[in-house]
Amino acid sequence: MVGPLHYLFLGAALFALGGVGVVLRRNALIVLMSIELMLNAVNLTFLTFSRFPLVKSAPTQAGFLSGHTAVFFVIAVAAAEAAVGLAIVIAVFRSRSSVNVDEFDTLKF
Amino acid sequence: MNFNPSDLQGVLPALILAIGALVLLTSEVFLRASSALASGSGPQGHSERPAGADRRYQAWLAAVFAALGLWAAVAQMGDPAAPLFSGAAVTDGFARVIAAVVCGALVLSCFVSFGYLEALRATRGEYYALALFSASGMCLLGQATDLIVIFISLEVMSLAVYCLSAYLRRGQRPAEAAFKYFVLGSFAAAIFLYGAALAYGATGSTRLADVANAVRLAASGGSPAGTTTLLFAAAALLASGFAFKVAAVPFHMWVPDVYDGAPAPVTGFMAAAVKVAAFATLVRILVGGFGEPSVALGPHGWQKLVVWLSALTMLLGNLLAVPQRSVKRMLAYSSIAHAGYLLVAVAAMAGAQPRADALEGLLFYLAAYGATVIGAFGVVALIERKDALAGAGDDLSSWAGLSERHPGLAAAMTLFMVSLAGIPPTAGFMAKVTVFRAAIAADLVPLAVLGVLTSVAGLYYYLRVVVYVYMVPQTKAEPVAGGHLIAAGIALAGCAALVLWMGIQPDTFARLAQSATTSFAR
Repeated sequence: MVGPLHYLFLGAALFALGGVGVVLRRNALIVLMSIELMLNAVNLTFLTFSRFPLVKSAPTQAGFLSGHTAVFFVIAVAAAEAAVGLAIVIAVFRSRSSVNVDEFDTLKF
Repeated sequence: MNFNPSDLQGVLPALILAIGALVLLTSEVFLRASSALASGSGPQGHSERPAGADRRYQAWLAAVFAALGLWAAVAQMGDPAAPLFSGAAVTDGFARVIAAVVCGALVLSCFVSFGYLEALRATRGEYYALALFSASGMCLLGQATDLIVIFISLEVMSLAVYCLSAYLRRGQRPAEAAFKYFVLGSFAAAIFLYGAALAYGATGSTRLADVANAVRLAASGGSPAGTTTLLFAAAALLASGFAFKVAAVPFHMWVPDVYDGAPAPVTGFMAAAVKVAAFATLVRILVGGFGEPSVALGPHGWQKLVVWLSALTMLLGNLLAVPQRSVKRMLAYSSIAHAGYLLVAVAAMAGAQPRADALEGLLFYLAAYGATVIGAFGVVALIERKDALAGAGDDLSSWAGLSERHPGLAAAMTLFMVSLAGIPPTAGFMAKVTVFRAAIAADLVPLAVLGVLTSVAGLYYYLRVVVYVYMVPQTKAEPVAGGHLIAAGIALAGCAALVLWMGIQPDTFARLAQSATTSFAR
């Protein structure tokens, strides 16, 4: 039987995978994808808590639907973020013909 | 959810700034290129793009809208606090002071940017529109009391600032800085959002007021099983998301690169305004959401965490600034160090008693630091102009002998350095005094002592700039930034006047800050 905990752990695992991807992957595009993965893990968590609430009644008027609205906002913002992120990656690529994160070393300590 | 149109008046500053951005974007449509040839031929050398139409009006228009936003924030200053949009946002003294500081920073930044962009022939339509959009996000961040609204305002602010830091996109350095900023900023936003999801799970709502109720319930031991743990995890994730934004020490790695690579006027705006908005939200979340004193001061409370963050930030920020040769990078580390002093004020807010004093100190410090740092980066912008696109960083040697070439600039830079170091009679001194006084009132004496000691260490690298400006003879003949000095002059004079005014007559601004302290009183 699949219960809320399964979804929560899946969400946590996806979030961790995304975080590890941001830190370890060397391709700028895959770094962007990892960030998307993190945001979608958050969406899954929101929806799980909305579908299987821990508290008896939601304090707001919208009830547990507010979790669903949160997800819509996150999806919209993630799309805007991807647009800006890709534009920046293109700007980087044009200035140095590479999207390898290891080569982004003009600015150093 | 019922929508009340009169609520829009409560978000007036943000509304004015957003409308201003739209007006600027729309005005682009009606511009006619002065010569068709100019836009056809590719750019030569370092100029971003041949200046087709005359876009100089945009800086003034943006400054006017920012000033209108400032006026709206100040005009509402005495009004009673009221919730907006059924509790998703609030208009109170705290939010108004934040909006006023952000709009003031934007006015000054517009003047600084004007000369910089004109000299690089890089004035394009989106620059001031992006600045206005980000400022409207910052004003909303000061008002938001719902985790999702905070996330959206945060992204409105951040996405615009990412674009601004990539503004001179042909150069390697700005693009790289923007990429680093974007990745770490989005990473931080995702961490914040995961915290919001956990808080939602523990409370069934994303409103900070409901989170505060749940925290109070958890403190009395009456909450459902598991939710207390979720709340602690949520607090940690929400706080670390914003620790990235305020550049507290384990989360500070992006700051030097981004501040160094972004165009200097943008860096000044980021250092002043983004910091204001990020600290405003941190206070809203920690004090407004998790501020129950018995929880905040408890063995697992956030005060301990913030104390450690602030101690580390003050130490490392000041120590790492010492070896920097680039003034921009030095100012970046100094911005980290100042985040540490501001965190002292946040730590002092954990208890109910010193909360009002600490809040006043925090707001005063934010305003003082904002005025000083915009001025400092304004001078850097004048020095940097030539090298901005070529890919070379600035070096202390290009500051040598500045006092002979431009005595006014030299005096202004000295004033800003003295204020950053915290020497009277400047704003920086009064700001440090108010913050450390609040820390002592909150029984955080070791933290206050560490703050004083590290600011003494800071004297070395701030005054080194002054030594170069006045005492080191000029080695190579560098004509500094001709033309368009008027706008920059206005901005620098404004910053200098603010720095001196807040240093000599702190009461005037302290009274404004006091009007904000009722927001979190219980």
